[in-house]
Amino acid sequence: MMLDKILASFISDLKTFYRSKGTLFWTLAFPVMLILIFGAIFSGVGDIEYELHVQNLDDSEQSLSHQFIQALENTGVIKIVNVSKDADIDSYMDENDIKRLLVIPGNYSETIIASQYPNVTVSVNLSFHYDQSEQQTNQVVKNIISNVVRSMNMGISGGTEIIGIEDIETISGEFSFIDFFLPGMIGFTIMQTCIYGSIERNTRLRKDGILRKLLTTPITRSEWILSKMLFQLFLSFLSAFLIIMVGILVYGLSIHINLLVIILIVATSFLFTGLGMLIGRFVRDEESAGMAGGAITFPMMFLAGTFFPLEQMPEFLQTFAKILPLYYVNEGLRNAMIYLKTDDALFHSIVVLIFASVFFIAGLLLTKWKED
Amino acid sequence: MGFLMADKTVQCPKCSQKITISGNPGEIIKATCPSCGNKGRVTFKKIVKKDDIAIEVSKLRKVYGDLVAVNDITFSIRRGEVFAFLGPNGAGKTTTVEMIESIRQPMGGTIKILGKDISTSFDDVKEKIGILPQEFRSFERLTVKETLEFFSKLYKKRASINVIIDAMDLRDQKNKLYMDLSGGLKQRVGVAIALVNDPEIVFLDEPTTGLDPKARREVWAVIASLRDEGKTVFLTTHYMEEAEFLADHIAIIHKGNIIAEGSLEELINKYGQGSILHIKKCKTKDAARILKENGFNVNTKNNGDIEIKIDFKERVLEILSILRHECIDYDSIDIRCSNLEEVFLHLTGARLSEEAYDAR
Ligand SMILES: Nc1ncnc2c1ncn2[C@@H]1O[C@H](COP(=O)(O)OP(=O)(O)O)[C@@H](O)[C@H]1O
Ligand SMILES: [Mg+2]
Repeated sequence: MMLDKILASFISDLKTFYRSKGTLFWTLAFPVMLILIFGAIFSGVGDIEYELHVQNLDDSEQSLSHQFIQALENTGVIKIVNVSKDADIDSYMDENDIKRLLVIPGNYSETIIASQYPNVTVSVNLSFHYDQSEQQTNQVVKNIISNVVRSMNMGISGGTEIIGIEDIETISGEFSFIDFFLPGMIGFTIMQTCIYGSIERNTRLRKDGILRKLLTTPITRSEWILSKMLFQLFLSFLSAFLIIMVGILVYGLSIHINLLVIILIVATSFLFTGLGMLIGRFVRDEESAGMAGGAITFPMMFLAGTFFPLEQMPEFLQTFAKILPLYYVNEGLRNAMIYLKTDDALFHSIVVLIFASVFFIAGLLLTKWKED
Repeated sequence: MGFLMADKTVQCPKCSQKITISGNPGEIIKATCPSCGNKGRVTFKKIVKKDDIAIEVSKLRKVYGDLVAVNDITFSIRRGEVFAFLGPNGAGKTTTVEMIESIRQPMGGTIKILGKDISTSFDDVKEKIGILPQEFRSFERLTVKETLEFFSKLYKKRASINVIIDAMDLRDQKNKLYMDLSGGLKQRVGVAIALVNDPEIVFLDEPTTGLDPKARREVWAVIASLRDEGKTVFLTTHYMEEAEFLADHIAIIHKGNIIAEGSLEELINKYGQGSILHIKKCKTKDAARILKENGFNVNTKNNGDIEIKIDFKERVLEILSILRHECIDYDSIDIRCSNLEEVFLHLTGARLSEEAYDAR
């Protein structure tokens, strides 16, 4: 019986949701749009020439490697930057923030010459080092290299694979802007949908007499709130899922889903639903409550490190940010799903859980259905 | 229940063919006219023991700051009657009805619904009542049918949604979104929502406020059909015509006090001025004197109009024959019957409709 009522309410919410273009836009399309826009601004997608750092270790007389490099340059989209022979690849990439690098081994010319003798099978591997944070560009560059390699193989041996490419992923420790931005976007979107959903339920439904009506029906306040929470959780997971999919498919991010991520999403939903209840409790009129919601979420969005790291802000703002619940949500999600810093993520999750308990319980205790 | 079967003869609204239909009291039977094929419903009145008390309110009180919104009022409502709680805006109607519905907390007094004190057993009562709050608006983006289904699932006892849709005449709208309905239809949906648990008592707080006259009459028809089904209706309104048209029992509330209570007839007999016959632009000088001599209570106006108070209907004919006999010349005659407006004016010195208008 109880489940019946909760389910009925959930289904009504679902229908209302997909019929409301405004809500659909703000919960689903808006965050995706924002990610794409910011992604385009910050990751330089749209360059027509790709920089490729090349470390050429081949020093034989013939230097057939120069021929290969020339071929790469002739494609017109690759700009070669030479790297000195004694550079250490990992630290060189890390220090100079290089996202991809090609190493031509010392036996390159030798191998190709050897391959010209009959009955000799030899091969040589080029090493393609790349940083995972720009997977799309890396893929493009790698395709170009592969094409050049294929035509070289064709010319040398009529197609037998003499030259190969070996992928080497480097973990630079430098994450891209999108890595930073995406978890923040999840936190921000959950905050928005929960606060505004909750404000609407506590102001408009009151004004329209729906809460009064419900008081006279057998549904209890806990059943009602439970059903609304269930729906908020559904929305939170839906938008998180969508944002994550954009991150993976468009930006090739490697995102980790683990228990802490789930806990953070659930706790964040409760946190901001509770906050919305409190706003609706003290600002009774729907429009003013909406403005109050904006007055709280808008500054929080900027100050809690959704769009740019806290370190870029003045000292006093950084201190201020640390009392904002959204800061812990953002940091927690980043550590749990991108940086894999479990200890930090755990700490942030606990802080979010505490915030959530306080706000949600306060919201429950302070709001009432009964009229004065 | 078969032994209660009754026959009812109705006339087809389209072709005026008379049809006799049998059914049980409280039943609504679908009928098709044998000659024109028109489809309709026939409601068989429920037999309700009118002596049973549905709602009993005693010394109910609510104070907001300095304002006594409801001042120790006492009244009771019998089962099966339409009770109109009539009063201007701010009289205390909503405060009273919402205390009875357990939405607001009374500051004094007791309320019993179907014999149960609601301060302790309102949960038992919930299944048996249906309410339409004042200025109610349902979920914007659910269709009429979905809305009724949602509210219906909240109850153990569920009336058939199709029957409600038929009875409220919402068939054509059942798949429309609530937000796309006109004001009158929205109110009808509101009444329909109040019926999803087939309640014994229906509370309607100003169900026709803000509607145009046509939509108002449609809602009245719906309320009248509730009475036919044997439901007890608690109706609050500031329209006296609404109370006159629908109510079996009227209580007039003014500034938190019930100032008069009874049937329409009782109220008019007790507080009304009786009927007045109005002779417009009387040109015969002696007319007033002649009528006075014949024992009538005559009041001459400055503009030559004459007003005569009528205590018995038969005296109207008497006046007309005097007018003809004495060749009294006049423009026109009309008769104004006493109404609730007059009762209210008599009791408070203010006009109900104006007061309601001013407050808005
Ligand atoms: N919550 C409240 N706080 C303060 N005053 C109220 C409140 N509710 C109603 N009132 C006052 O009580 C009086 C009766 O109001 P109400 O019951 O709504 O009247 P009605 O329904 O007859 O128009 C009005 O003067 C109104 O202003
Ligand atoms: Mg009212």
